[in-house]
Amino acid sequence: MAVTTAPVRPSEPGRRPDAGRRAGLDRALPWLLLLPAAITLGLVSIYPIYAGVHASLTTYLYGRPVAGAGLKNYTDTWHDPVFWQAMEVTLKFVLIAVTVETVLGLGLALLVANVVRGARWIRMSILAPMTVAPVVVGVIWRLIYESETGFVNPLFTSLGLGAPNVLSHEGSAFFGLVLVDVWEWTPLLFLICLAGLQSIPQEPLEAAAVDGAGPVRLFFNHTLPLLLPVLAVGVVLRLIDAVGTFDQIFVLTRGGPGTATQLISIYAYNTAFNFTDYGHGAAMLIALLAFALLLVLVALSLMRRAAKRVAQ
Amino acid sequence: MKRAGRYARWAAIVLVIFGSLFPFLWMLSVSLKRQVDIFGGPSLPKQPTLSNYTALFTQYHFGAYLVNSILIVGASVLASLLIGTPAAYALARFKLPGGLNSQALFAALLVRMVPPILLVVPFYIILAKFGLLNTRLGLILLYTGINTSFVIWIMQSFLAEIPTDIEDAALVDGDSRLSALRRIILPLASSGLAATAIFAVITTYNDFLIALTMTSTPAAQTVPVGISTLIGKIQVEWGPMAAGGIIGALPILIFAFIVQRHFVRGMTLGAVK
Amino acid sequence: MTSGSGPSMKWSRRSVLKGAGLGVAAAAAAPLLAACGSSGGSGGSSSSGSSKKIIIGSFQDPAMAPFRDKYVKQYQQETGTAVQYSETSYDAWYQACKSDGLNKTGAYDIYVMDDNWVPEFAAGGIVQNLDKLGLKVNPDILSKGLDQGYWPPKEGARLKAFKNDTPALYSLVIIDDVNLLYYDTRHFSSPPETWDDIYTAMKKKAHPPQLYGWSARGVKGNPVVQTYLPLLNSYGGNFVNDDWSPGFAGPEGVAALERLLTFLPYMSPSTPEFDTDQETSLMLQGKCMALTEYTGTAVTEIDNPSDSKVVGKINMATTPKQVKNGPAIGTFICSIASGSPNPEGAVKFLEWFTSDRIQTQFAREGGNAAVTKTALNDPQAAQKYRWLPAIAQSVQLSTPKPRTPDEPKFEDILGTQLNLALVQALQQKGGYEQIAQKYLNVAKGQMQAVLEQNKNIYF
Repeated sequence: MAVTTAPVRPSEPGRRPDAGRRAGLDRALPWLLLLPAAITLGLVSIYPIYAGVHASLTTYLYGRPVAGAGLKNYTDTWHDPVFWQAMEVTLKFVLIAVTVETVLGLGLALLVANVVRGARWIRMSILAPMTVAPVVVGVIWRLIYESETGFVNPLFTSLGLGAPNVLSHEGSAFFGLVLVDVWEWTPLLFLICLAGLQSIPQEPLEAAAVDGAGPVRLFFNHTLPLLLPVLAVGVVLRLIDAVGTFDQIFVLTRGGPGTATQLISIYAYNTAFNFTDYGHGAAMLIALLAFALLLVLVALSLMRRAAKRVAQ
Repeated sequence: MKRAGRYARWAAIVLVIFGSLFPFLWMLSVSLKRQVDIFGGPSLPKQPTLSNYTALFTQYHFGAYLVNSILIVGASVLASLLIGTPAAYALARFKLPGGLNSQALFAALLVRMVPPILLVVPFYIILAKFGLLNTRLGLILLYTGINTSFVIWIMQSFLAEIPTDIEDAALVDGDSRLSALRRIILPLASSGLAATAIFAVITTYNDFLIALTMTSTPAAQTVPVGISTLIGKIQVEWGPMAAGGIIGALPILIFAFIVQRHFVRGMTLGAVK
Repeated sequence: MTSGSGPSMKWSRRSVLKGAGLGVAAAAAAPLLAACGSSGGSGGSSSSGSSKKIIIGSFQDPAMAPFRDKYVKQYQQETGTAVQYSETSYDAWYQACKSDGLNKTGAYDIYVMDDNWVPEFAAGGIVQNLDKLGLKVNPDILSKGLDQGYWPPKEGARLKAFKNDTPALYSLVIIDDVNLLYYDTRHFSSPPETWDDIYTAMKKKAHPPQLYGWSARGVKGNPVVQTYLPLLNSYGGNFVNDDWSPGFAGPEGVAALERLLTFLPYMSPSTPEFDTDQETSLMLQGKCMALTEYTGTAVTEIDNPSDSKVVGKINMATTPKQVKNGPAIGTFICSIASGSPNPEGAVKFLEWFTSDRIQTQFAREGGNAAVTKTALNDPQAAQKYRWLPAIAQSVQLSTPKPRTPDEPKFEDILGTQLNLALVQALQQKGGYEQIAQKYLNVAKGQMQAVLEQNKNIYF
């Protein structure tokens, strides 16, 4: 699921209204306007997070809470080799997929940025994969990869290569999944980069071009530094989403073969719902949240350092 | 030289578009095949049939799924706009004590930051508690909450951009704050509202995980969940699954195309400011 | 199926009335649950004797189609009792009935279940004791099928808390689903008796990809476990031993897996991604000599010309033996919900469906996997549907899965490693014994870790 955000910044305070007959109402007004939203958000964010933490500290038997667990669910998870396997797969998946998407998205944006003819159609065609439900994306690629009904095996055999049986091997299934994610989400980074490129002032670029700078130097010295803050937002959004990837895998591989595509999200889901073990499932998910926040922090600091270096 | 570069660029663009759209066309072709042809290797449908589509509606409850999806998306997006926009206005126009503005914005964002899989177990517990599992109402409430955070975030930045002078003039003319909001501000923010609503419609219609976990029968299941039910424990219904994919994708593709200007704006909003 | 909206609307209304005390997993709810347990079913609904409607929920499965489309209606006509039937996907239904039962919300009277849910549902109080409800069991029901519904189990390992309890019936079998051997009569003149016979035959005749020697479900988790169990059992190994220790990593289990791996050169190279539909499609296209599969393939597909190019050419028998026959059993089984608004009506319906008359009809019309001895051996039915006697024989030779709520977890552990063993063996094309030993050992270690984590439940 894609998320769009604005950078955090202090809101601009309105001009203080004159003290007068409306002062009392005006003083209460902001709180009245905020109240419904506060209640709603409390119900869907603060309480669920509290409940999740609470569940992770509880022992369940046959789906019912029977006792406090202390930190047992966490220590069990820490000693669970399958959990660490899933952690490794998640990390690998997120890093590879988001890196490829960022590079491709930027490249595509540069490719299309100055095209005027048919721009609307080109843009919409590129965006199409991102608009449809991830479940549908999973269905589409299952129809492509599947060895008996799909498109990939016959394609390879007709080219004289062996049938790859994408979903039958650990390596190919994993990269098959990465490709699905790249197909689906490169458009988001493309879109963000495109918008970023279009907001960059053209005068300095033209001036530098007049001074004889080549396109490559122009890109690295002028365009990229100005684009970095925008790119940072896009990358962070993708990181958060990629960590939670679930739907496509649920439809495509269910985590297999072996554990090759078993992300934490899949393993935690199975633990909580198929093994009826809410306690361990919740503990894994809290660990995943910590992991996602860590990734975001690392990404932001890397971006900031890169921005500084480019600026010098 | 320059011309060659231009050809190369167009060749690349055509290739990208092909890569982007071909998977959809493949799914469309499978959805028009008979079961016996699906296993027969890649080809265009030999005897195109709509039987997979009719099966969706006669055997697999897709009528109910579509109705559920439309009701749930409509109600939750509307509710979240009604709840979120006033809050966004308050955050954009009033300076609250204790730096509450930015804290509130952060809290709003938190829901979107957290991978949805994290929220599912608590959501499940809450809905079970109030007997709202497998009801449209339960899903509407959850999506309203999730969308509200998004509405606050986006609308706040839209509203902050509208100059305060216009509003102040209306206040001086004797309008109350609320009527100024209704008469002056909302019309000015309408393109922001459109972008926000469109984005919320698309993400809500596409959601799978929450709907999967909270529902269990066609009484409340949505289109993406309906598609996943075609991948059974025993067998995959390939033809209906492809047709279901088309049914799931088409409304959103058409919708995104019609409202593409707003859509693009919603997707990129904030990132570039 | 059009009654989908009924149960859930009722569900929500009831639950709202009962208020916040009924959390599935909310910590505070446990004592309240106990308090309102007994009143669970009766809240709010009007009781008007036997004509009160019954609500059945189920997962989607082709094998359930006759039950859903014919017998539910027939019961309404014969008794005047309205029956509502709703179904959804397997995973969703497992969650739905579990939460319905835990909360005693009473949205359903009867759950159609997979037999490996019985331990969790019985031990967790999600379903009711049928003996206590006075259900009269038809004595002609095949005993091995019937045993699937007892808790604690009549044989095999037991959870500590239930060690000394007398087994009671919690769930009644309605379809005796069991592994069968399907063999193409063009390649086997009589049913192969042992796994070694099958191997010998495929070595001689198979020439992939035109003709595979064997076909199997290889997807990780439940599917590949279903492939492995008939081998494991027949080699004399156990999924779990009577003391809960994993029983598949010993010499029997390794030999059984090694045997399966030696089939691989004669199988499709995409076996690790095969589930039932890909597995059986090879047979339906006449491209595979034999396979093991549950009964649904026979009942709905083999002789159906729109699916099958091998109508009349496939025969069925009990799965091969090595030291014994070892088909796995996976019955469709029905329980009465803990919060059922109409348990008496539900009992009557289950007694009706498992009666001699209906079971014979069930077997005669469509060759369904009926649950009584007479129905499966009925000459008129058996003449038309050649697999029925094989079902009767296989059920009595079958081995149940481990009877514990952690069974899905165990299946996931074993099934992940089996899937990896297939992947590895396909790449390596040899060294099958080491591969088998290696992955079974990993599964054993992981299973022991789970047992250790939950030792107060098991030991």
